[in-house]
Amino acid sequence: MQAKFAPVFGLLLPALVFLPLLVFLPFEIHGGGWGLIANFFGAALRPSLTPSLLASACSGIAITLAVALWSWLLSLVIGIGAGLLSAPTVSEAFWGCRWPADLLRRLLALPRSLHELLWGLILLQGLGLQPVVAVVAIAIPYGALVARVVSDQLESLPQAPFQALRVAGAPSPAALLTGLGPSLLPGVLSYGGYRLECALRSATLLGVFGLGGVGADLRLSLQSLQFHEAWTSLWALALVMFLLEQGIALLRRRWWQPGAVVGQRGRELLLLFVVLLLLLFPAAQLLDLQWQVLLGPWHWPMDQQIFQWQAWRLPWPQLVGSTLLLTVIAALAAFAAAPLLLLLFSPWALMQPLLRGLGLLARLLPPPLTALLLLFVLKPGLLPAALALAFHNAGILGRLFLEGLEAQDPRPEQALLAAGVSSRKALLMARFNGLAAGYLAYGAYRADVILRETVVVGLVGAGGLGVVLLEALSSFAWADVLPVLVVYALLTLFGEELATRYRSFLLHKHPQKEGGAPTRLQLLAKPMLERA
Amino acid sequence: MVPGRQRPRLNNLNLQLNRGERVALLGASGAGKSTLLAVANGLIKPACGAVYWFGENASSGKRRQRQQARIGTLWQDLRLVEELSVQQSLNCGRLAVWPWPLVLLNLFMPLETNACAKVLSEVELDPDLLAVPVKQLSGGQRQRVALARLLRQGAELLLADEPLAQLDPPLAARLLELLLELGAAPRSLLLSLHRPDLVQGFDRVIGLRNGELLFDGNPKSLSAELINDLYAQN
Repeated sequence: MQAKFAPVFGLLLPALVFLPLLVFLPFEIHGGGWGLIANFFGAALRPSLTPSLLASACSGIAITLAVALWSWLLSLVIGIGAGLLSAPTVSEAFWGCRWPADLLRRLLALPRSLHELLWGLILLQGLGLQPVVAVVAIAIPYGALVARVVSDQLESLPQAPFQALRVAGAPSPAALLTGLGPSLLPGVLSYGGYRLECALRSATLLGVFGLGGVGADLRLSLQSLQFHEAWTSLWALALVMFLLEQGIALLRRRWWQPGAVVGQRGRELLLLFVVLLLLLFPAAQLLDLQWQVLLGPWHWPMDQQIFQWQAWRLPWPQLVGSTLLLTVIAALAAFAAAPLLLLLFSPWALMQPLLRGLGLLARLLPPPLTALLLLFVLKPGLLPAALALAFHNAGILGRLFLEGLEAQDPRPEQALLAAGVSSRKALLMARFNGLAAGYLAYGAYRADVILRETVVVGLVGAGGLGVVLLEALSSFAWADVLPVLVVYALLTLFGEELATRYRSFLLHKHPQKEGGAPTRLQLLAKPMLERA
Repeated sequence: MVPGRQRPRLNNLNLQLNRGERVALLGASGAGKSTLLAVANGLIKPACGAVYWFGENASSGKRRQRQQARIGTLWQDLRLVEELSVQQSLNCGRLAVWPWPLVLLNLFMPLETNACAKVLSEVELDPDLLAVPVKQLSGGQRQRVALARLLRQGAELLLADEPLAQLDPPLAARLLELLLELGAAPRSLLLSLHRPDLVQGFDRVIGLRNGELLFDGNPKSLSAELINDLYAQN
């Protein structure tokens, strides 16, 4: 016998994380709050419909949407601009050398390494409670992330058309726009749509930490055990998220057609752009955005020393260790949940809509709130934090997994079914195998995101760098903030590098099938390929 | 009749395949050959009428799966799982009978190497190919791996949907010879073809036109007139 791993094996292996979780879970249950959990889910059927609460929920949603819209557009502007400038092709075309692009790429790693919540808390200290803080806090890391994806996509495109135009004497900007622009546009549009969904989730999360909107309402309702009121906001948020996801999917299907010529959808794109611009004004009014506050004065505590040697003497192995443990447990559980649940329940047609509903709830409930709910029945510590992160990310991963699964070629599965193979085995061997490499590659990226997100579940006593950082930030102890921030940033950059190398290795080993519209899973898994 | 969206309908068709028989299925494009094969392997259920497998009514659930496991199909587009190695792909033929632990074990430690090497040599492929990923094989090699998977399945009835369509003449002739050899008693073979000149090695020929049976008989009785009728436009 010889060892030869089928790709699907890597997809099932992470499910082993549920074994120790199931072993340790009974010891972590305090059992006092099962009634509260039952009340919470029971309240889903009877949300509060009083006019004042409905009005408050609508206003919360509108604020969150406005923050999401502004931060998303700002991040796209920053991201596309910085992405083009940090692409070696562009740098060489304009300046004849690639070092400016390389330098910018390295600089962009820093804003990307910090979670938007940390940016939010840092800006909050400097600017006070301002709506513009939430917008900028999301736009900074998102902009840096979009920049990286844009520059990576630009570099992975065939360069021949661009070179041909350059050789024929076309000026650099025109050659770039004509030779690479049309190929770049569909990817940027599709990725941009995905970022809008992310921005909505981030805006909700920042609300949980006091930056307004539906997140703040949700936290207040849950903390005061007003579950009927919480569900009014949750249902409203679910509706908005569902409409947004469906709308983006519709546009994606409409605009991304293989062989589509640029200009065919130009008018629709322009119209959407105008509509978005028109929406920005009421959104700015609603938020009362005051951009001038960014120009100062900033309220930094000048009397404090920002660097103190004794602040660096922290139990680093323990802090880094628990952060990594939290990341690994949450990432493995989030990754394995969708394939495992589908494999277990796929033969029952009723389970699919149920799983989709659960996924939507997971996506719209920010991890700190899931953690709060888990505290009703679990002791504070690493486990509720890991489960909360896993639940939220399983919702995101699960949706991409299902989308990818539906886009798989059904014929190998049909062949197995016709040979008498059971539907579960056929699903595993045919569809799961086809999807495994792309899902693993995206899972590596998600693990990197989860590492950044560990900071948001600090409040349930998960331990790790997140707790120390939040405590230092909320007590204005800047000398304590600096070392944790530096180590946290280094850790996330290391995680990003590791995830990138793993993804490149996977995608080179199992190249994704070309042709037709790629699924979002393929698209999200694909960038950063050129670094291998 | 078959409720198909794009599939040709089958009308008034009454056919029986005997053990050890090698049958060629002729007909123009759209005559219903692929539909007939899809009904025969259970991929689609007829809207009316009945299918009997090995003398038993085609049932449902686990019993249907057991019946289907005795039928192997060589698809026109092969339908192999590209991401697997040749050995794992051959073992896909055992999925219907293997319990879950073996299915999972095969994913990281391909099982039953000797049995896989044997079926590979039966289809004239080098057993060294066992560890090679399916996506690295040539078109001809993939076709033989798909055929070997049916042998690994232990199929008693072999169905083949236009297996020679995309092969050059020498390769097509060799594959046909191999199929006739493997489809001989105790197995049976039902193979759809475009070309009437290739039916001489078969025991029986069936002609379909517009989903209806045009003829059913010995290959020697296939006249030029019948062939003209078969491919005549409506």
